[in-house]
Amino acid sequence: MSTTNSNIVDKLSLQVDSFQEGFEILSESKSINEMAKQFATLLRGNFLVTDVNLFYKNVSNSTWEMIYGNKENYTKWMIVNNSSSMQIEYDLNEDVKACVNLPLVDKSVMGITIGAKLDKSDFTDFDKITLQIFLQLLDNAYQSVINRQKEKKLIFELNQRVLQLNNLIDTGIDLSKFENRQLLFQLALQRAAVLTDTSHALIGISKDEETLEEIFFPPGLDSSIINESENKISASFSYQEKEYNFTLANKESRTGVAEYTDLDKLLLEAIARQVNAAIENEFLHEQSLIKERIEQELNVAASIQQKVIPQELPKIPGYDVAGINIPSREVGGDYYDCIDLGDNRFALVMADVAGKGIAASLLVNTLNASLYAYLDNKTPLVEMTEKLNKIIFNASPSDKFITYFITILDAKTGELDIVNAGHNPMLLLRENGTMQKIEAGGLGLGMFDFGLPYEGEKQTIKTNERLLLYTDGIPEAMNENEEEYSDERMEEFFLLNKTKTAQEFVDKIVNDVKSFAGNAEQSDDITTMYLIKK
Amino acid sequence: MLTDFNFTSVFKDNSLIMKTSGYINNTAGEKITNEFMKHKDEGVNKVIMDLQDSKVVNSIGVSYLIEIIEKLNESNGKLYFLNLDPTIEKTFSIMGLFQFAEKADSVEGALSK
Repeated sequence: MSTTNSNIVDKLSLQVDSFQEGFEILSESKSINEMAKQFATLLRGNFLVTDVNLFYKNVSNSTWEMIYGNKENYTKWMIVNNSSSMQIEYDLNEDVKACVNLPLVDKSVMGITIGAKLDKSDFTDFDKITLQIFLQLLDNAYQSVINRQKEKKLIFELNQRVLQLNNLIDTGIDLSKFENRQLLFQLALQRAAVLTDTSHALIGISKDEETLEEIFFPPGLDSSIINESENKISASFSYQEKEYNFTLANKESRTGVAEYTDLDKLLLEAIARQVNAAIENEFLHEQSLIKERIEQELNVAASIQQKVIPQELPKIPGYDVAGINIPSREVGGDYYDCIDLGDNRFALVMADVAGKGIAASLLVNTLNASLYAYLDNKTPLVEMTEKLNKIIFNASPSDKFITYFITILDAKTGELDIVNAGHNPMLLLRENGTMQKIEAGGLGLGMFDFGLPYEGEKQTIKTNERLLLYTDGIPEAMNENEEEYSDERMEEFFLLNKTKTAQEFVDKIVNDVKSFAGNAEQSDDITTMYLIKK
Repeated sequence: MLTDFNFTSVFKDNSLIMKTSGYINNTAGEKITNEFMKHKDEGVNKVIMDLQDSKVVNSIGVSYLIEIIEKLNESNGKLYFLNLDPTIEKTFSIMGLFQFAEKADSVEGALSK
C-alpha cells in the first residue's frame, strides 16, 4: 500500500462514526424531500460547499423533479443514460464541480449537482472517495426508507384484512338483529361499501323484471351515478319470486378509482348471502308465529269439540252401549252421541264432516246445536234431517258436507227409527248370525239443497242382537303399505267378537285397527258406537 | 346520514377543530387533509375531530387520517377524536390509530391535554 493510500484509509477510519451518524439521519427521513435536505446538509458540512441541488426521477416518470436546491435548470447536467450503476462526473464547469447519477433500488434515479468549494479548491481523491461513501449511504438509506414504507403498507393491508373479517362477522350478527327491512338494507349497503372501499352502492328489488324498490348508499344518491359507472360489481339472490340485486360502483383509491378485486366480489356475495339469510329468518319467524297462533286456535277449537263429544254415554235400561272418538289431528271432523230423550227413548248419532280442522269443528258444532234443538221439539227424523240439510248447506262452503246417521231407539220395544244421510251403513247383527246393512236415507247433509226427500226406515233390535255404528276412519284406516283395513275385515271382526261387552268390543276394535296400521300415521278420525240389547 | 360529506373547522391557538358529517372516504379524506395542510404552516399542533355525524369510514378515509397523525407526530402534535360511533371506534382500534391518536370527551377536554 502506498503512503498516500495509507493516509486516505487512516482519515476515512476517523470518519466512521460520522458516516454511521449520517446513515441514521438519512434513514430516519419521512419522505424523499426530507432525505434530500439531510443529504445536502451532509455534503455541505463535509465538502464546505454552498450549492447543492438534488433531482429525482421515479420509475414511471421520465422527467426530473427538483427535490432540493434552487437551480432547476441544472437538470441539463443530469447524465442521460440508462446505466444501472452509479456515475460521477467532476469539474463540469466553474459552478458545477460534481454531477451524480445514482440509480436506486426501486429503479428510480437520484441526480445531484455539487457546486464549488468555499475555498475554490478542487475535489481531492479523499473528497471523491468520501462522496462515493456518502452516495452509498444515501442508496442504503433510501432502501431502508422504501422497506419501511413497504412494511407500513403491509401492516396497513394486514390490519385492513383483519378489519374486513371483523366487519363481516359483525355484519352477520347485526343483520340478523334487524326486523325493519329498510334498516337491514341500509346497513348491508353501508357495510358492503366500507368493506370494499366503495363510493356508491345500490340494492334493487324487482319482480318479473319490474323494479319494486331501490335503496341507495349514501341515501338520496342519484341512480345515474351507479347506472352510468363502468367500475362496478354486483351480486344477487332470489327469494319468494323477488330478485335482490346488489351493486357496488366506483371503488376508491388514494389516486382515484381502482379496479374491484376478486376479494371485493367475495365480500359483496357474502353480504348478499347474509341479507338473504336475514330475510329468510324473518319469514320463518313470521311463519312460526302464524303457526303458533293457528295451533292456539286449534287448541281452542279442540277443547270446544271435546265438549260436544260425550265424555260418558247414558245408561240405557236393558242395553249395553259404548263409544269412542280418536281424532287424527287436533280438531277432528267426526261426531257421535247418545242422547237421552226421556220416556226410554234414546238418539244414537254418528256423523263425519268432510275435512278436518276449525272449519269441520264449526260444522260439527252447528250440527250438534241444531240436533239438540230439533230433538227437544220431537221433530220427526226425516223432517228433522231435511231441516238439518238446509242449515248445514247454508252454513258450509261448497266443498264441506256431513255424512250422518241417526236412529231413535225405543228402549222398551227395541224399535229403531232410522235415517242415514250418506253415511256408512249401520251394521245390525241378528241373533241367528245374519248381518244386516242399513243404508236407507239420502245424500249427505249440506251437499245440495234441491229439496230431495230423505227416506226413513224402521227396524227392531232384539235380545242378543248388536248394532255397530262407525265412521270411515275404521274401514279406511291405512297401514304402511297403503292397504285399507277394509269393510270385510271390520265385518269379520264384528262376527268373531259378538260375545264381548260393548266396552270390550270398542276397545278391541280400536286396538285391531291400530295394530293393522302399525307405524303408519293415523289418516282419519276413528269413531264407533256399539249397542247390545241384553 | 347526509349524502355528501361536509365539515366545519375552527383554527385557534395552534388547534384545528373539525366537525364532520357523512361518509369519510377518499373525497372526504382529501378534504380533511387539505384543511389540515392549510393550517400546517401556521403551526397547528393539535387537531380535534368531532365525528358525531359521521357513522361510516372506509380504509381510504383511514389512510388520510393516518397521514395527518404522522404529520402531527413529526411536529410533536396530536390528533384527538370526539363522539366516535362504536363501529368507527373499532375500525380505528384495529387499524392502529390509537397508537398515536387519542379519544377525548369534549373539545375543552382535548384542548386541555
